[in-house]
Amino acid sequence: KSKMATGAIPAAPAVNVCVEAVLESQIQEVRVVEKQEAQDGQEIQEIYAPPLSMSENLTKLAQKIDFYKDESGEKGKPTSEGEKEREEEKSVAAFQPSLWPWDSVRNKLKTAYTEMSVLLDVLNIAKEKRYMVLDSVQQSSPDAKLPLQLMSKKKALNSASAILLAGAERLKKSQAENSNKSDFHFELLKLRQNWRLKKSGNTILGDLSYRSVGSRYPHNSTFEVVKSTDLVGESGETTPTSTPRGSLEVIIPSELEGTAYIQVEVKSVPESLDLTGAILKMPSGLGAVHTYWQQKLEVAQNVLFCKEIFAQLAREAVQSKSSVPHLVVGNQIITNIFPGIQLSIVLCHSTGKEKDRKIPMSPGKLDHNHVLEHSLHQLLREVHNKNLRFPAPHPVTAMVGVSKKRRLAGPNALSRRELVEMTESDTMLNQIIKQTKHNVLRLRTLQTIDAFATSLNDPQLTTHWSCANNSLEASCRVFITSQGYDLRIWHSFVLMIGVDSIKIAHKDGRIFNLSFEEKELQDFILWQIAQHQTSVSQNLARMMGWQIMSMCAALGVSDLEDTGIASSLLLASPDHDRVLAVKSGPSSGVKVFVQSSQKDTNGKTQTLSADNKWQYIGADFKEVDLSKFEGKNFASKLELLMATLSRSVS
Amino acid sequence: MESLPPMFKAASLTTEYLLQGSIMEQSRDVLLQRLIGLCDDTKSPPDNFHDHEMVFHMKNTTIQQPLVYRVRHSLVQSDCWSLRYLGNTEMGDKNKPTLTRTSIDCPVSENVVQYLNELGFRMDHEFVVKGYYFHKGRMKVTVSKFFKMNQPSNVADNLEAVCPSFLVELSVVTALGQEGVGEDMKNFAEQLKPLVQLEKTDHRKITMNQT
Repeated sequence: KSKMATGAIPAAPAVNVCVEAVLESQIQEVRVVEKQEAQDGQEIQEIYAPPLSMSENLTKLAQKIDFYKDESGEKGKPTSEGEKEREEEKSVAAFQPSLWPWDSVRNKLKTAYTEMSVLLDVLNIAKEKRYMVLDSVQQSSPDAKLPLQLMSKKKALNSASAILLAGAERLKKSQAENSNKSDFHFELLKLRQNWRLKKSGNTILGDLSYRSVGSRYPHNSTFEVVKSTDLVGESGETTPTSTPRGSLEVIIPSELEGTAYIQVEVKSVPESLDLTGAILKMPSGLGAVHTYWQQKLEVAQNVLFCKEIFAQLAREAVQSKSSVPHLVVGNQIITNIFPGIQLSIVLCHSTGKEKDRKIPMSPGKLDHNHVLEHSLHQLLREVHNKNLRFPAPHPVTAMVGVSKKRRLAGPNALSRRELVEMTESDTMLNQIIKQTKHNVLRLRTLQTIDAFATSLNDPQLTTHWSCANNSLEASCRVFITSQGYDLRIWHSFVLMIGVDSIKIAHKDGRIFNLSFEEKELQDFILWQIAQHQTSVSQNLARMMGWQIMSMCAALGVSDLEDTGIASSLLLASPDHDRVLAVKSGPSSGVKVFVQSSQKDTNGKTQTLSADNKWQYIGADFKEVDLSKFEGKNFASKLELLMATLSRSVS
Repeated sequence: MESLPPMFKAASLTTEYLLQGSIMEQSRDVLLQRLIGLCDDTKSPPDNFHDHEMVFHMKNTTIQQPLVYRVRHSLVQSDCWSLRYLGNTEMGDKNKPTLTRTSIDCPVSENVVQYLNELGFRMDHEFVVKGYYFHKGRMKVTVSKFFKMNQPSNVADNLEAVCPSFLVELSVVTALGQEGVGEDMKNFAEQLKPLVQLEKTDHRKITMNQT
């Protein structure tokens, strides 16, 4: 509030001077308001601005400070002059007014911000290490105290070596543990490489059977794999014969324990189908029990295979409707192949648990026919193959599993008979019987021919067996020759041995069908020998100029031979005065007869007529004793005889 | 008179169970190796087939869908011709793991084309299929590639592959109503899983996209 000075311009009287305190706050507004005391008076009211707060006061004062007063510019004096002037300028410059109260603060902050950005950029670039790298400043190394350093290094090395040694110890220990017995898992890996294994629940099971290659034998064939319980404490020295022990054991089904094999035997029995001969054979010891799993499994698989063979054969034997009955007793199948020849197939399975054997078997008594046993194995594999092996269908949408012939049966209009033929297939038992029959027949033929070949030396027999043969067919060629004359004349025939009959193809083209009887072949050979002798005589006669008056291959007269038929030859000497008759038969052998003539009697007998030509008719024949002749065989003796008789009388 | 052999009394095999998948050309060898390992009686290289198929349509004024007969003959064994009728593929419900369709296949003689022409069928299209064949039990697996014939009735030259990938099909042709076939097929398809996905594809979607 101020009172205006009411005094006008004074002339003489005294002027009233009002003294009042300095106004602290500024006047913001002047108003005319109604006076509160008087009714019609007015008052001038002054409204002061609110007093400044501390910060406002500070701001006001700070505004007055000029931080960056350019003193040299003000005064115009060079700055290199004394500091006093600088101070003066500073004080003067301090009151320089600025545009905005916080401007200097802002500038300071701005510069600070700029410096921080620069620092950040430097750090980023330094971090990138491409344009700038932070490097430590070489500090002056402190003085090395050698003994102390040595001690500290030694300690450090000691601790490091201690750690390394401890690790090595542990490794050595575990290595030693593992090398003693082989790891279960390692063995399991090897087992898996050879056999099919499957994990069911907690147990590992495997499959021994041949099902994956086509077998349909419903026999229990799963084996179990377990960890071996006994420790390998007694490994000691392993002898070369002992099997390696592992940490893995296999448990095979009880029916497959032990070893087994199929024994095929062909023997001749005096009576047909000797039932008492069907003894249950127990084979001799078949080898130690195997410990190593691979051998154990292989042996068990073999047992399964043999059992399947026998089961199949037994089933076929029971179901067969052939004329020859097959006998199945226990583990043996007996059947007659030929009268007097018996085939027996035995499944010999020893479980290895027998303590004492009631029937002592000498090792020589087991008569194996290994070829037929092998054939049985092959036959079963053939059955397996047929189960699995289907030809690929062309076109590919055709039915799976049928052969091309069957698929084309419809379009080609095959008859019912042909279709039925396609479905027929021989049973395993029939096949093995056929093979056995052929085997027996071939051996018998061989023996027959060899018996002749070794015993006869007059015409000689030579046999050449063909190497192109199979289990059901074989063939050989037999030559009959006389020694010394073998390039001039020979007889030969080819024997084709089938399952139960022999077919002979003769040199001159005739075919003979013989049965399995031995005697028929013997008779045939004897007959051929007889024919050969006649041919030799014929050949000799031609060679020596004798005339063949008559030749009869099958003589219808004279005594009946036991087997076969005789042949004869009538020869006349070159000068027509001697006649020889040769007769050769299978059982009677070869006989030579010479016709008696006038020369023998030396003209002692009287003749009715004087003409010479009557001398040569009607004379008797006398047998020539060939054993008194010189000569290795009949042919040479005959040659000598003919030479003697054809000596012409000059 | 002796009784008929059992093959004459067999049930008629008219249903085909089918699963299909496809692989790119570069994965063919891997798939073939896996199939050689899984299937029965395989040899390396596997059996291959080369067939020529002609599809005949008989159009009827009353029925919209033409009757389709397929004549397929093998170019490897050229006397094997067959005539096939395929019904529509049925997806079945979700439980059925495979597609089913009627499939009647009959081996025929070589003059079947002439016969069909006489009956009134007209050839709609033809193609050549080449591929590999495997079997496991009664399941048939084929990996095949289709070729378009640029010249009609010329099966040797000018063949152009329809697309470079291979079609893998797993099928069983058996009598109607056989249980367990689908399950067996599904289990087998599982074993081929990462190499090829054999699944039921809806053929109706393919035919709808064509029209």
